[in-house]
Amino acid sequence: MPLRKRAGLPGALACALVLPLSGVAPAQGQDGTPLLREAVTAYAKYSYIGQVQNTDYGMRRADAVLFRVEHRAPDMTRRWYLAPEGLFGDSIISRGDTSYDVDPRTHRVIVTEDDALDDQVAMDDNFGLLLHNYRAVMAPDDNVAGRRTLNVLLINRYTGETVMRIGMDADTKLVLHKERYAASGSVAHEMRFEQIRYTGDIPKALFTVPTAGFTRISGPNHAIPSNDLTAVVRTAGFAAAGPKYLPDGFLPVAGDVTDVKGVRTLHILYSDGLRTVSLFENARGAAVDLSKYTVHETKVRSGTAKYVEDGPTTLLAWASGARHFELVGELSRDELVRIASSVST
Amino acid sequence: MTQHLTTEILLDYIHGELSPAQDAATYAHIEQCAGCRSDYQAEVSLGEMLREHAAREERELPSLVKAEIWRRVRADKPQTSNRFTAWMRPAVAIPVAAALALAAYFGSIYVAPHGAPSIEASYYLQDHAAMNTTIPFNDHTSANPAALEAAALADIRRVAVDVQPAAYTANAAP
Repeated sequence: MPLRKRAGLPGALACALVLPLSGVAPAQGQDGTPLLREAVTAYAKYSYIGQVQNTDYGMRRADAVLFRVEHRAPDMTRRWYLAPEGLFGDSIISRGDTSYDVDPRTHRVIVTEDDALDDQVAMDDNFGLLLHNYRAVMAPDDNVAGRRTLNVLLINRYTGETVMRIGMDADTKLVLHKERYAASGSVAHEMRFEQIRYTGDIPKALFTVPTAGFTRISGPNHAIPSNDLTAVVRTAGFAAAGPKYLPDGFLPVAGDVTDVKGVRTLHILYSDGLRTVSLFENARGAAVDLSKYTVHETKVRSGTAKYVEDGPTTLLAWASGARHFELVGELSRDELVRIASSVST
Repeated sequence: MTQHLTTEILLDYIHGELSPAQDAATYAHIEQCAGCRSDYQAEVSLGEMLREHAAREERELPSLVKAEIWRRVRADKPQTSNRFTAWMRPAVAIPVAAALALAAYFGSIYVAPHGAPSIEASYYLQDHAAMNTTIPFNDHTSANPAALEAAALADIRRVAVDVQPAAYTANAAP
C-alpha cells in the first residue's frame, strides 16, 4: 500500500480519534523534561504506518538501514527492510517482548524473547538516572516527515556536551528524529522518519508470523537482567573484577550471568541513563573471536588489547592470565581504554 | 553438496566452527537430506544429554551424606595392597571410566585452558544491545537481523541469579 496515499474521510476520522489537541510547548531554552516524559510513553499510545532510516556512523564509514514500519499500539510492530539489498525483504515482527526475525530467503524465523522490555521499574529508574545526569533544554522547532517537531537537547551536566537531540511530533510527542553525538561532536547515530501516517486501522493479522515452510529457530532469550549486582557477581563463580574509573554519572545498573559455549560469562551494564558500557568477563580463558571484523591494537595498562568497531559501537578485548575481558559501548575509544585500564579485582 | 555429511562436519557445524560458505552449504544440505538431519539431531541430543549430565554432576551432596561417607572412610581405612584391587572392581571402575570419558569430552570442548572455545564478537554486541532495552531513548528499531541471526546460532544459556530471599534483609535489626 503506497504510504503517500491520502487517508480520506475514514482516515481523517481515525486521526481525529487518536490525535490529542496540541498543548502549549515550552519555549526555546526552557526545561524540556515534561516533553521527555510524554515521549517515553507515546510509543505505547499511538498507532502509525511509516518509513524510517537509521544511520550508524563509524570512524570512516556509515551503515544505514531503511525500513517500513507498521505499529499498532501498545506493543505490536512490524518492520520490513527495504535497504540495504542484503536485508531486502527481511522483516522483524515484535509482539510484546517476543520478536520474530523472518528471513524469506532461508525460510527461517528466529524467535527472540527479551523480558527486559516488561521491566517498567528498571525503565523508570533509568529515566530518573537520565534526568539526574542530563539537562533537557528546548531547541528551535523543526519539521520532519511533514510534521512539526519540538526539539529537546540532552546536555550532560558534568561535561556540558550535548549528547542527544530528540525531535518529537508536536501533537503526539512520538520521537520522529533523533541524533546521538560522539564526544567529538560528530553525529554517531541518526534515526529519522521519512514518512508517517497515524491510523487506528491496523489489523492484528498484519503481525502474524509465517509458519508454512518456515523453520523456527530459538534465538537468544534475554531474561530480565538483575539489579541485585551482589547476587549476580556471586553467581559468576569467580572473583569478579570491576572498573575503578567510570565517566561522571555512570553507575552499574544491571547484570546477568550466561553460559556461552559452556563458559560462564559475567556481564555488568554501566550507564548514566543515556550512554552505556558493558563489561564482560570469563575466567576460563575463552577469547573473543574477532575474525569477522577489522582488528586494531591498542594498550591496556602495559598489555596489548584488541578492538573492533561496529558502527558507533566499539568492542575492546584484553586478557590477564586466564581472565578475559570485553568492554562494549558507544563511548570514545580513549574513554573505553581508560575504563579498561582501571579494571582490577 | 550431494554427499552425506561426515560426523566431523556435523560437529563443526554444531559448534559454529565452519566457514560461512561451508556453514550455509551444510545448513542447506541438512534441510534437504532426511538422513543427515537425523544424524544432526542425534548429535545435538547427545550434546544436550552430556551437558545435562555434567550439570547434574556439579550438584553438591547433602552435608549429612558427605559426613556419613567420611565417617565410614575414616572407620575403615584399607590396606595399601587392597587399594589397587578395590579400584579394579566393576562397581568402581565402570563409573570412574565413564567419568573420565565425560571429563575428556568436556575437557576437549570447554575446559582445557589452551583449548577454550572462542566466543563470537556478535554475542557481546547483541547482549550489550539487549541489556540496553530499559535505557530511555535507546533505539529499539536498530536491531540488526544479521547480528540477531549470528547470536541465535551460538550456544547460549542464561544462568539463574542466586538472589537471597528478601526476608534475610527484612528481618535484619534496624
